[in-house]
Amino acid sequence: MIFREVEDLDLIAKARRGDVEGYNLLVSRWEKRVFNYLLRLVSNREDALDLSQEVFLKAYRNLPKLDDPARFAGWLFRIAHNEAFSLLRRKRPEGELGPELHEAGASGRLLPLELSLAVESALKRLSGDQREVVLLKVYQGFKFDEIAEILECPVSTVKSRLYTALDLLKSTLAPVVLRGES
Amino acid sequence: MNCESYDWKAYALGELDRPARTEAESHAATCASCRNELATLRLTLDTLSTLREEDMPRRIAFVSDKVFEPRWWQRVFSPNFAAACVIAGAILVHAFARPGITDAQIKAQIDVAVTKAVAEQTEAIVARDNERYSQAYAIATGLERQ
Repeated sequence: MIFREVEDLDLIAKARRGDVEGYNLLVSRWEKRVFNYLLRLVSNREDALDLSQEVFLKAYRNLPKLDDPARFAGWLFRIAHNEAFSLLRRKRPEGELGPELHEAGASGRLLPLELSLAVESALKRLSGDQREVVLLKVYQGFKFDEIAEILECPVSTVKSRLYTALDLLKSTLAPVVLRGES
Repeated sequence: MNCESYDWKAYALGELDRPARTEAESHAATCASCRNELATLRLTLDTLSTLREEDMPRRIAFVSDKVFEPRWWQRVFSPNFAAACVIAGAILVHAFARPGITDAQIKAQIDVAVTKAVAEQTEAIVARDNERYSQAYAIATGLERQ
Protein backbone atom coordinates (compact mmCIF):
# COMPACT_ATOMS: atom_id res chain seq x y z
CA MET A 1 0.00 0.00 0.00
CA ILE A 2 2.86 2.36 0.87
CA PHE A 3 4.67 1.54 -2.36
CA ARG A 4 1.47 2.02 -4.28
CA GLU A 5 0.97 5.43 -2.70
CA VAL A 6 4.54 6.44 -3.47
CA GLU A 7 4.10 5.40 -7.09
CA ASP A 8 0.76 7.16 -7.29
CA LEU A 9 2.39 10.34 -6.05
CA ASP A 10 5.07 10.00 -8.71
CA LEU A 11 2.48 9.45 -11.42
CA ILE A 12 0.41 12.39 -10.20
CA ALA A 13 3.50 14.61 -10.40
CA LYS A 14 4.16 13.41 -13.97
CA ALA A 15 0.54 13.95 -14.99
CA ARG A 16 0.66 17.46 -13.58
CA ARG A 17 3.55 18.19 -15.93
CA GLY A 18 1.41 17.11 -18.90
CA ASP A 19 2.72 13.54 -19.15
CA VAL A 20 -0.25 11.68 -20.64
CA GLU A 21 1.41 8.28 -20.37
CA GLY A 22 2.02 8.86 -16.68
CA TYR A 23 -1.63 9.69 -16.26
CA ASN A 24 -2.69 6.61 -18.21
CA LEU A 25 -0.70 4.49 -15.75
CA LEU A 26 -2.47 6.18 -12.86
CA VAL A 27 -5.81 5.55 -14.55
CA SER A 28 -4.99 1.87 -15.02
CA ARG A 29 -4.41 1.56 -11.26
CA TRP A 30 -7.76 3.05 -10.30
CA GLU A 31 -10.16 2.51 -13.19
CA LYS A 32 -11.54 -0.85 -12.07
CA ARG A 33 -12.30 0.36 -8.54
CA VAL A 34 -13.93 3.52 -9.81
CA PHE A 35 -15.86 1.62 -12.46
CA ASN A 36 -17.23 -0.90 -9.93
CA TYR A 37 -18.17 1.86 -7.51
CA LEU A 38 -20.04 3.70 -10.26
CA LEU A 39 -21.58 0.49 -11.56
CA ARG A 40 -23.14 -0.23 -8.14
CA LEU A 41 -24.44 3.32 -7.95
CA VAL A 42 -25.96 3.65 -11.42
CA SER A 43 -26.64 -0.06 -12.16
CA ASN A 44 -25.75 0.24 -15.82
CA ARG A 45 -22.45 -0.86 -17.35
CA GLU A 46 -22.39 1.62 -20.23
CA ASP A 47 -23.34 4.50 -17.95
CA ALA A 48 -20.69 3.40 -15.46
CA LEU A 49 -18.09 3.26 -18.22
CA ASP A 50 -19.02 6.67 -19.61
CA LEU A 51 -18.96 8.12 -16.11
CA SER A 52 -15.57 6.53 -15.42
CA GLN A 53 -14.19 8.18 -18.54
CA GLU A 54 -15.64 11.50 -17.45
CA VAL A 55 -14.32 11.10 -13.91
CA PHE A 56 -10.75 10.55 -15.09
CA LEU A 57 -10.98 13.40 -17.59
CA LYS A 58 -12.17 15.77 -14.87
CA ALA A 59 -9.54 14.45 -12.52
CA TYR A 60 -6.82 15.20 -15.07
CA ARG A 61 -8.06 18.71 -15.70
CA ASN A 62 -8.30 19.41 -11.98
CA LEU A 63 -5.08 17.73 -10.85
CA PRO A 64 -3.37 21.11 -10.37
CA LYS A 65 -6.09 21.98 -7.86
CA LEU A 66 -5.46 18.87 -5.75
CA ASP A 67 -3.83 20.36 -2.65
CA ASP A 68 -2.56 17.13 -1.15
CA PRO A 69 -1.69 14.41 -3.70
CA ALA A 70 -1.60 11.87 -0.83
CA ARG A 71 -5.39 12.25 -0.64
CA PHE A 72 -5.86 11.41 -4.29
CA ALA A 73 -8.13 8.40 -3.63
CA GLY A 74 -10.74 10.30 -1.64
CA TRP A 75 -10.55 13.22 -4.07
CA LEU A 76 -11.07 10.87 -7.05
CA PHE A 77 -14.07 9.19 -5.43
CA ARG A 78 -15.49 12.60 -4.60
CA ILE A 79 -15.47 13.37 -8.34
CA ALA A 80 -17.00 9.96 -9.06
CA HIS A 81 -19.72 10.57 -6.46
CA ASN A 82 -20.62 13.92 -8.02
CA GLU A 83 -20.71 12.50 -11.52
CA ALA A 84 -22.86 9.54 -10.50
CA PHE A 85 -25.43 11.59 -8.65
CA SER A 86 -25.51 14.17 -11.39
CA LEU A 87 -26.49 11.37 -13.78
CA LEU A 88 -28.97 9.83 -11.36
CA ARG A 89 -30.71 13.16 -10.86
CA ARG A 90 -31.12 13.48 -14.61
CA LYS A 91 -32.24 9.91 -15.24
CA ARG A 92 -34.47 8.73 -12.43
CA PRO A 93 -36.30 9.86 -9.31
CA GLU A 94 -34.70 9.37 -5.92
CA GLY A 95 -35.52 6.19 -4.03
CA GLU A 96 -36.35 3.97 -6.95
CA LEU A 97 -35.84 0.36 -5.96
CA GLY A 98 -33.91 -2.16 -7.94
CA PRO A 99 -35.16 -5.59 -8.95
CA GLU A 100 -36.28 -8.08 -6.36
CA LEU A 101 -33.85 -10.36 -4.66
CA HIS A 102 -32.82 -13.12 -6.99
CA GLU A 103 -34.12 -16.50 -5.92
CA ALA A 104 -31.68 -19.32 -5.86
CA GLY A 105 -32.46 -22.87 -6.90
CA ALA A 106 -35.27 -24.69 -5.12
CA SER A 107 -32.90 -26.40 -2.79
CA GLY A 108 -29.29 -26.76 -1.88
CA ARG A 109 -26.38 -24.48 -1.15
CA LEU A 110 -26.08 -21.21 -3.04
CA LEU A 111 -23.43 -21.07 -5.72
CA PRO A 112 -20.92 -18.19 -5.59
CA LEU A 113 -22.57 -16.56 -8.60
CA GLU A 114 -26.01 -16.82 -6.99
CA LEU A 115 -24.63 -15.43 -3.77
CA SER A 116 -23.09 -12.53 -5.65
CA LEU A 117 -26.37 -11.81 -7.43
CA ALA A 118 -28.22 -11.96 -4.12
CA VAL A 119 -25.84 -9.43 -2.63
CA GLU A 120 -26.19 -7.21 -5.67
CA SER A 121 -29.96 -7.25 -5.32
CA ALA A 122 -29.78 -6.63 -1.58
CA LEU A 123 -27.60 -3.58 -2.22
CA LYS A 124 -30.12 -2.28 -4.73
CA ARG A 125 -32.82 -2.40 -2.07
CA LEU A 126 -30.95 0.19 -0.05
CA SER A 127 -31.47 3.89 -0.62
CA GLY A 128 -28.85 5.61 -2.76
CA ASP A 129 -27.24 7.24 0.30
CA GLN A 130 -27.11 3.98 2.24
CA ARG A 131 -25.75 2.01 -0.70
CA GLU A 132 -23.01 4.51 -1.30
CA VAL A 133 -21.64 4.42 2.23
CA VAL A 134 -21.60 0.60 2.07
CA LEU A 135 -19.71 0.76 -1.23
CA LEU A 136 -17.17 3.22 0.12
CA LYS A 137 -16.67 1.38 3.41
CA VAL A 138 -17.05 -2.32 2.62
CA TYR A 139 -15.77 -2.41 -0.96
CA GLN A 140 -13.39 0.54 -1.13
CA GLY A 141 -12.09 0.43 2.43
CA PHE A 142 -12.28 4.12 3.23
CA LYS A 143 -12.33 5.25 6.85
CA PHE A 144 -15.37 7.03 8.28
CA ASP A 145 -13.68 10.45 8.12
CA GLU A 146 -12.59 9.88 4.53
CA ILE A 147 -16.13 8.95 3.52
CA ALA A 148 -17.38 12.08 5.26
CA GLU A 149 -15.01 14.13 3.10
CA ILE A 150 -16.06 12.38 -0.09
CA LEU A 151 -19.75 12.87 0.65
CA GLU A 152 -19.25 16.26 2.28
CA CYS A 153 -21.29 15.36 5.34
CA PRO A 154 -20.56 14.83 9.06
CA VAL A 155 -18.99 11.57 10.25
CA SER A 156 -22.10 11.03 12.38
CA THR A 157 -24.20 10.99 9.20
CA VAL A 158 -21.87 8.46 7.61
CA LYS A 159 -22.13 6.19 10.63
CA SER A 160 -25.89 6.55 10.82
CA ARG A 161 -26.38 5.68 7.15
CA LEU A 162 -23.92 2.79 7.30
CA TYR A 163 -25.31 1.26 10.47
CA THR A 164 -28.89 1.46 9.17
CA ALA A 165 -27.74 -0.09 5.88
CA LEU A 166 -25.98 -2.93 7.71
CA ASP A 167 -29.11 -3.68 9.73
CA LEU A 168 -31.18 -3.78 6.53
CA LEU A 169 -28.62 -5.95 4.75
CA LYS A 170 -28.44 -8.26 7.73
CA SER A 171 -32.17 -8.91 7.59
CA THR A 172 -32.37 -9.00 3.78
CA LEU A 173 -29.48 -11.39 3.46
CA ALA A 174 -30.40 -13.55 6.46
CA PRO A 175 -32.14 -16.26 4.35
CA VAL A 176 -29.28 -16.19 1.87
CA VAL A 177 -26.70 -16.42 4.63
CA LEU A 178 -28.53 -19.38 6.21
CA ARG A 179 -28.77 -21.21 2.89
CA GLY A 180 -25.17 -20.41 2.13
CA GLU A 181 -24.19 -22.02 5.39
CA SER A 182 -26.34 -25.11 4.97
CA MET B 1 -19.64 -1.15 30.80
CA ASN B 2 -22.85 -2.73 29.59
CA CYS B 3 -23.45 -4.35 26.19
CA GLU B 4 -24.99 -1.22 24.62
CA SER B 5 -21.80 0.74 25.14
CA TYR B 6 -19.88 -1.44 22.67
CA ASP B 7 -19.99 -0.41 19.03
CA TRP B 8 -19.76 -3.82 17.34
CA LYS B 9 -20.33 -2.42 13.87
CA ALA B 10 -17.35 -0.10 14.25
CA TYR B 11 -15.38 -3.08 15.61
CA ALA B 12 -16.29 -5.33 12.67
CA LEU B 13 -15.53 -2.55 10.19
CA GLY B 14 -12.07 -1.96 11.65
CA GLU B 15 -12.76 1.55 12.93
CA LEU B 16 -11.79 1.06 16.58
CA ASP B 17 -8.33 1.88 17.86
CA ARG B 18 -6.29 -0.79 19.64
CA PRO B 19 -7.35 -0.02 23.25
CA ALA B 20 -11.02 0.04 22.30
CA ARG B 21 -10.63 -3.21 20.36
CA THR B 22 -8.93 -4.92 23.28
CA GLU B 23 -11.64 -3.80 25.66
CA ALA B 24 -14.41 -4.95 23.31
CA GLU B 25 -12.75 -8.35 22.86
CA SER B 26 -12.46 -8.78 26.63
CA HIS B 27 -16.15 -8.10 26.96
CA ALA B 28 -17.12 -10.42 24.08
CA ALA B 29 -15.17 -13.23 25.71
CA THR B 30 -17.61 -13.16 28.62
CA CYS B 31 -20.85 -12.12 26.83
CA ALA B 32 -22.67 -14.62 24.61
CA SER B 33 -25.13 -11.99 23.36
CA CYS B 34 -22.38 -9.68 22.08
CA ARG B 35 -20.49 -12.64 20.58
CA ASN B 36 -23.64 -13.58 18.72
CA GLU B 37 -24.16 -10.03 17.47
CA LEU B 38 -20.57 -9.84 16.28
CA ALA B 39 -20.80 -13.22 14.57
CA THR B 40 -23.96 -12.16 12.70
CA LEU B 41 -22.28 -8.93 11.59
CA ARG B 42 -19.22 -10.77 10.34
CA LEU B 43 -21.40 -13.22 8.46
CA THR B 44 -23.21 -10.33 6.77
CA LEU B 45 -19.91 -8.64 5.86
CA ASP B 46 -18.52 -11.95 4.57
CA THR B 47 -21.61 -12.38 2.42
CA LEU B 48 -21.26 -8.83 1.10
CA SER B 49 -17.66 -9.58 0.16
CA THR B 50 -18.86 -12.28 -2.26
CA LEU B 51 -20.04 -9.56 -4.64
CA ARG B 52 -18.01 -10.09 -7.76
CA GLU B 53 -15.87 -7.26 -9.01
CA GLU B 54 -16.87 -6.57 -12.58
CA ASP B 55 -14.29 -6.32 -15.34
CA MET B 56 -14.43 -3.19 -17.40
CA PRO B 57 -15.99 -3.53 -20.87
CA ARG B 58 -13.00 -1.63 -22.20
CA ARG B 59 -10.02 0.09 -20.71
CA ILE B 60 -9.84 3.83 -20.24
CA ALA B 61 -6.92 5.50 -21.94
CA PHE B 62 -6.18 8.98 -23.06
CA VAL B 63 -4.20 10.06 -26.06
CA SER B 64 -2.39 13.29 -26.42
CA ASP B 65 -4.77 15.87 -27.82
CA LYS B 66 -5.49 19.52 -27.21
CA VAL B 67 -6.93 18.74 -23.82
CA PHE B 68 -3.75 17.03 -22.74
CA GLU B 69 -1.20 19.09 -24.57
CA PRO B 70 1.01 21.09 -22.24
CA ARG B 71 0.03 24.70 -21.64
CA TRP B 72 1.96 27.43 -23.43
CA TRP B 73 4.09 28.09 -20.37
CA GLN B 74 4.90 24.38 -20.12
CA ARG B 75 6.07 24.50 -23.72
CA VAL B 76 8.18 27.60 -23.04
CA PHE B 77 9.96 25.81 -20.25
CA SER B 78 10.43 22.56 -22.14
CA PRO B 79 14.13 21.75 -22.85
CA ASN B 80 13.80 21.61 -26.67
CA PHE B 81 11.93 24.86 -26.92
CA ALA B 82 14.34 26.58 -24.56
CA ALA B 83 17.33 25.37 -26.62
CA ALA B 84 15.73 26.65 -29.82
CA CYS B 85 15.11 30.01 -28.16
CA VAL B 86 18.74 30.27 -27.05
CA ILE B 87 20.01 29.57 -30.58
CA ALA B 88 17.58 32.06 -32.16
CA GLY B 89 18.56 34.65 -29.57
CA ALA B 90 22.25 34.13 -30.26
CA ILE B 91 21.67 34.66 -34.00
CA LEU B 92 19.76 37.89 -33.38
CA VAL B 93 22.36 39.20 -30.97
CA HIS B 94 25.11 38.42 -33.45
CA ALA B 95 23.20 40.17 -36.23
CA PHE B 96 22.52 43.35 -34.29
CA ALA B 97 25.61 43.52 -32.13
CA ARG B 98 28.06 42.94 -35.06
CA PRO B 99 30.47 45.99 -35.42
CA GLY B 100 29.24 48.31 -38.24
CA ILE B 101 31.33 49.55 -41.26
CA THR B 102 32.54 53.13 -40.69
CA ASP B 103 32.49 55.93 -43.31
CA ALA B 104 36.30 55.98 -43.44
CA GLN B 105 36.31 52.28 -44.31
CA ILE B 106 33.73 52.87 -47.04
CA LYS B 107 35.82 55.75 -48.43
CA ALA B 108 38.95 53.62 -48.39
CA GLN B 109 37.13 50.83 -50.22
CA ILE B 110 35.93 53.35 -52.85
CA ASP B 111 39.46 54.73 -53.20
CA VAL B 112 40.87 51.29 -53.77
CA ALA B 113 38.19 50.53 -56.34
CA VAL B 114 38.77 53.86 -58.18
CA THR B 115 42.54 53.43 -58.18
CA LYS B 116 42.17 49.95 -59.57
CA ALA B 117 39.76 51.13 -62.30
CA VAL B 118 42.04 54.06 -63.28
CA ALA B 119 45.03 51.75 -63.48
CA GLU B 120 43.13 49.32 -65.67
CA GLN B 121 41.96 52.11 -68.00
CA THR B 122 45.46 53.63 -68.19
CA GLU B 123 46.93 50.28 -69.04
CA ALA B 124 44.31 49.76 -71.77
CA ILE B 125 45.00 53.22 -73.30
CA VAL B 126 48.76 52.67 -73.30
CA ALA B 127 48.32 49.30 -74.94
CA ARG B 128 46.03 50.76 -77.60
CA ASP B 129 48.47 53.65 -78.28
CA ASN B 130 51.36 51.23 -78.58
CA GLU B 131 49.41 49.18 -81.12
CA ARG B 132 48.55 52.30 -83.16
CA TYR B 133 52.19 53.39 -82.97
CA SER B 134 53.33 50.02 -84.28
CA GLN B 135 50.84 50.14 -87.11
CA ALA B 136 51.93 53.71 -88.08
CA TYR B 137 55.58 52.68 -87.92
CA ALA B 138 54.94 49.73 -90.23
CA ILE B 139 53.09 51.93 -92.77
CA ALA B 140 55.88 54.57 -92.73
CA THR B 141 58.55 51.90 -93.21
CA GLY B 142 56.66 50.50 -96.21
CA LEU B 143 56.34 53.87 -97.87
CA GLU B 144 60.06 54.56 -97.48
CA ARG B 145 60.88 51.26 -99.25
CA GLN B 146 58.63 52.22 -102.14
